[in-house]
Amino acid sequence: MRRLPVYILIDTSGSMNGEPIESVKVGLESMLSSLRNDPYALETVWISIITFDREARCILPLTALDELQLPQIDVPESGPTMTGAALSTLLDRVRHEVKLSNAEQKGDWMPLLFLLTDGKPSDTQLYNEMIPKIRQERFGGVIACAAGPKAKTEPLRQLTDNVYSLDTLDSAGFRKFFKWVSDTIGVGNRSVGATDELILPPPPEEVNMII
Amino acid sequence: MNRRIPPRNRIIVKTVDTYALRVAAFLKSKGIEPTTEAVDKFINWRLSQDWTQYNQSAMDRIQVVKTQIDALPLSLPNAKKGVAYTASISIPTDLVDWYRIVGLEGSGMKISEVTDGSCEISGSPEIANDYTLLLEYHVAGDESADFYTRELHLAVNPDPRDLWKNIPTDPAIDYFKTDEDCDYVKVEANDGTPRKDIVAASKRGRSHAHEGRPRDDDFKICHNVDNGWYVLAVADGAGSARYSRQGSKIAVETASKFCTDALASQGEFENVITAYHAQPDDTTRKPVADMIYRIVGTAAFRANRAIRDFQEQNNKDCTPKDFSTTLLLAICKKFDFGWFVASFWVGDGAMAIYNADTQYLKVLGEPDGGEYAGQTRFLTMDSIFANPTDIMKRLRFSIEDDFSALMLMSDGVSDAKFETDANLNRIEKWNELWADINSSVNLIDDNENSKEELLNWLDFWSPGNHDDRTIAILY
Repeated sequence: MRRLPVYILIDTSGSMNGEPIESVKVGLESMLSSLRNDPYALETVWISIITFDREARCILPLTALDELQLPQIDVPESGPTMTGAALSTLLDRVRHEVKLSNAEQKGDWMPLLFLLTDGKPSDTQLYNEMIPKIRQERFGGVIACAAGPKAKTEPLRQLTDNVYSLDTLDSAGFRKFFKWVSDTIGVGNRSVGATDELILPPPPEEVNMII
Repeated sequence: MNRRIPPRNRIIVKTVDTYALRVAAFLKSKGIEPTTEAVDKFINWRLSQDWTQYNQSAMDRIQVVKTQIDALPLSLPNAKKGVAYTASISIPTDLVDWYRIVGLEGSGMKISEVTDGSCEISGSPEIANDYTLLLEYHVAGDESADFYTRELHLAVNPDPRDLWKNIPTDPAIDYFKTDEDCDYVKVEANDGTPRKDIVAASKRGRSHAHEGRPRDDDFKICHNVDNGWYVLAVADGAGSARYSRQGSKIAVETASKFCTDALASQGEFENVITAYHAQPDDTTRKPVADMIYRIVGTAAFRANRAIRDFQEQNNKDCTPKDFSTTLLLAICKKFDFGWFVASFWVGDGAMAIYNADTQYLKVLGEPDGGEYAGQTRFLTMDSIFANPTDIMKRLRFSIEDDFSALMLMSDGVSDAKFETDANLNRIEKWNELWADINSSVNLIDDNENSKEELLNWLDFWSPGNHDDRTIAILY
């Protein structure tokens, strides 16, 4: 059975406390319920969630969509944003979890990575070390989202060409973002083949392209 | 005087009197005249204080229990529509003296009676839904009849089969192709001796049907009555390439036409095959290989060029990559001494000679796969034809006494039926496939109806495998 692994990295640093993280949860819930109604996603999508604040934690190991239950997402009241540590955790997990083709097993589809942050990496050195590694790893697509006025897009643009921004940290914005994520997962499912590039659906109006 | 008071009342009066006397003395010490009214007022005030405190303490206890109940890890595994489900719920009996769960009415699932704090949800969910159930409970030791609630979530996933839509392809699109196709090449029995026929079917995958996108696979089967050569071609256009449906069409048409034309005037080819059979060694083998290279190899190369030429003439804004397709090509002829089969294979899918009676299997090459799913190589890549050695590696030939079937299929069929490349070489897997096909398709000589049966068979269900499916069988 070919799986489409989807890794979602969520910033849980202090500034996400309160309404922002609640909005993210609402967005995630609605994303899951929309994916559950996509027959292809229901049979192939596996999701993992990694949160990062002063440390990176995998709060949901790669789990089949039909068995998935959203875990508790805790946000400390303050603290740094260890984005580099999150990417390092991600690479470890991808290398362990994502199956490659060989004679005895069918490989997974190339994994998708979504990174959501409302700030900038505090562990700059590690983050910079991770950039080339992420770029080398065979992701079907890497999509970064800078949420809110304090989010810095420059570090994200070193990671991927697909950087988008949300003006506000409210539930309408996150809902649109995760709607878009689920559309992308749907398309990603079907487009992998002759091209290695992910074909993105047009982003919703609330999500702005960084030029 | 005391004697006239009944003993039962005496105790109460005495008790009240004692407390009232103490209150009276206390009031007097504070300089207040201890009238009956003043004593009663104080006693009532005291009782009301105690009552409030008493209630507060009980409420605190309830709050503690509520917090504990809310923190219980009561998560229900997700259910699936139409699939039997059971899940149990357990709540410590020292927290609640009764509880019930409501909200499953009409769902097809039911809840058992609670025994020792545990109950079970079971049944077969009838509709896909996100249920919000209410756990209603009464706190142990609470003297009021009040009960409290907590939400529980139960997700019932849909059956993917209900979600697939079948949207017809818009006939106005460029290079429109029908959503399904089948064909039968009938080679009639000769003087009562059956001769092999070819049946083929191709069907748009569910993932394409769901979005109204066209079928990208294609096939071509033919037989030349004059010289007895059979030609079979199956091509799988890449799902991500814009015009791969046209790429696969050009591939099968060009390659099969080139083979048919080349074989029409190939007395020499048949001579070298006969010579090789008479004395199989390196010297007789080489001319056969060279002829296959010139016929089958060139047919594939011509298909590559035909796609490129077509793209240059018709779609200047594209590249041949937009027409990406795989190709499985086989030629076959019955000689006095047996069956000669030669083939070319680029991309994924499967192609093999299979004999159910002798349990013989020869897979005619290796599928091109990458590390990840969906990665393969395509006929349209110029690197495929960059050097003769690589082309040679894609060619196969053999002489067989007889066989049950020569099968060519796109990965929509082979991925579902074989899963891994290693399984392609396991005869048991081919036995299963052959039995499966024969249970739905009546593969007897000259049965033209089998093409529709084969088309119906292609509807088989396999989770996660919803690519276009094409199969061609010479039997």
